[in-house]
Amino acid sequence: MTLLDLAFTLVNGLATGMAVFLVAAGLTLIFGILKILNFAHGAFFMIGAYVAYTIVGSNPSSIWLFILAAVVAGIVVAVLGFIADRIVLQRLRNVDEAYMLIATFAVLMICSGIVKLIWGVNYASINPPPMLDGAVIIGQLFIPSYSLFVIIAGIVVFLILDFAIHRTWLGKLLQSVANDSWMSGLLGINVPVALTSTVIASFLLAGLAGGLLLANQTLSPILGESFLLLAFMAVIIGGLGNVRGAFIAAILLGVIESASSLLMPNMPGMATYIFVILFLLAKPQGLLGGQRI
Amino acid sequence: MSSLKVTALVISGIAFASLPFWADQGIMFLAGLVLIEAVFALSWNLLFGFTGLASFGHAAFFAIGAYLTGYALRTGMEAPFLLMILASGLLGAAVAAITGLVLLRRTTGIHLAIFTLALAEVLRIIIGYSTTLGREDGLASIPRPTLDFGVIAIDLSSGRAYYWFLCVAAALLAWLLWVVCHGPFGRTLVSLRQDPERTAFMGVNVPGYRLAAFTISGGIASISGALYAPWAQIVTPESAHWIHSTQPMLASLLGGVHSFWGPVLGTVLFSLINYLTRNMVGLAELVIGITLLVIVLAAPTGVMGLLENLRKRAEKRPAGIADPIEMPAERQAS
Repeated sequence: MTLLDLAFTLVNGLATGMAVFLVAAGLTLIFGILKILNFAHGAFFMIGAYVAYTIVGSNPSSIWLFILAAVVAGIVVAVLGFIADRIVLQRLRNVDEAYMLIATFAVLMICSGIVKLIWGVNYASINPPPMLDGAVIIGQLFIPSYSLFVIIAGIVVFLILDFAIHRTWLGKLLQSVANDSWMSGLLGINVPVALTSTVIASFLLAGLAGGLLLANQTLSPILGESFLLLAFMAVIIGGLGNVRGAFIAAILLGVIESASSLLMPNMPGMATYIFVILFLLAKPQGLLGGQRI
Repeated sequence: MSSLKVTALVISGIAFASLPFWADQGIMFLAGLVLIEAVFALSWNLLFGFTGLASFGHAAFFAIGAYLTGYALRTGMEAPFLLMILASGLLGAAVAAITGLVLLRRTTGIHLAIFTLALAEVLRIIIGYSTTLGREDGLASIPRPTLDFGVIAIDLSSGRAYYWFLCVAAALLAWLLWVVCHGPFGRTLVSLRQDPERTAFMGVNVPGYRLAAFTISGGIASISGALYAPWAQIVTPESAHWIHSTQPMLASLLGGVHSFWGPVLGTVLFSLINYLTRNMVGLAELVIGITLLVIVLAAPTGVMGLLENLRKRAEKRPAGIADPIEMPAERQAS
């Protein structure tokens, strides 16, 4: 393996990792604060992708339109999230977690049914906008500009999320709710509003991820599944809803995935699962376990 | 067991056994699948409903049994079929014991869920790349065996014969699990689900009991896979897919996890919904999803819990006397 291979693997891994993080960001938020393992997250990610596709079509004309479509998708999905919270999640707050699991699974099925009814079962592929269609060449290293875009988008989303949680009033409020919602309520924090806003933020992130990762994906009713498992693993390895942990875990998973496709090309995905198993055996609490959010 | 439950059991038993006389081939095939999936769901619920451990990769055990039996039958191995089923069960139990020994010591709850999910996916990938096991295409045209008892031999190659064999096997396995769940062993499992710490204080070997439940559950799940291979006559890596792992979970939760027969009822209901919506693209998922959602929202204790509540209301207990073992209290404790 040459140095070039190594650099290529690293960049590829980073791009995969950031794609995973974009999906995992909302998942980890809702997991950290509401303690829900949201099966429907992948489905809402998929709806975000379909909404963005409806706006930009197969050949987006500019990068700004592309980003705008992603933001609109995020807002649409956030509205859906608000509705889902009102109808489903809110009613199951005090019930055993397992029932939340079946409820979110039901929402997943409803979403994929709706997607099939509205957009059909046909596949669609979308090209990146003109500015992101080429490649950046550094020496001999060839980096698709869309990969670069995904990496930057992932880092930007992480920085905003991290700042919002650790530096703002709202974020600190959410942290306290996550740690002890009963005590927070006693101190006068409006816990139901905090929880609902977490759900909305989580769904916003799902829709946004769907829009941003639209290009180079095959749009089909099973799109949600492909990212969901990796995102779950990033959340768990990161340490139970810790955003920083999920960020590092997503990078780790991405690099392992891309290295394994270089080293053992006939068993894709295998190395990732083995890594997850070994990692959790060694450190069941996750990378940054113990501290929520 | 109340007399109402006995009546329901007898009626459903007769309905299943007499099915080949009044239903067509397609429905008989589905009914056979229901029997298999019901046993699979019961094995999952021994873990979740009774022991409080959630496995997200239970399909792995199903696949182990299905592939072992399917492979043995296809290569024309001369072993008796019942021995193959037993071997499948033992292999599944052994794998469960080994993984349980490693996993259960470290984790429970959500971590265990992800662990088992990852292990099942590894198994699925290995199967998908093993040429001996037919790669992604799976093992096709698996022959149905003959039951040889020495004195008499029963040919199971016809659909009806194998269907009745499935009825007997499912009933036996359900009975076995019922005995396990309702004896002292099952009682201990329930108490350690409700409060592992206190149960440990009482001198119960908590890790040991968890491991035993995991092993039994894995073994039975593997046997349900072994029954499946000759019935469907094809086994694919999809049987180890995490989507298949969610089937017993959904069936159990739908039926009611704290009731022994809940998973069976859930499997039947699920198959019914699936059958009735089979021709609608997109709508099928919508209908299943909405049904699930309505049930979870209206009756978080599952259909069995709902029925139980209705029965209690019908009996009109004198006001003010609370039932000491009401479902909601138990649910919160778990």
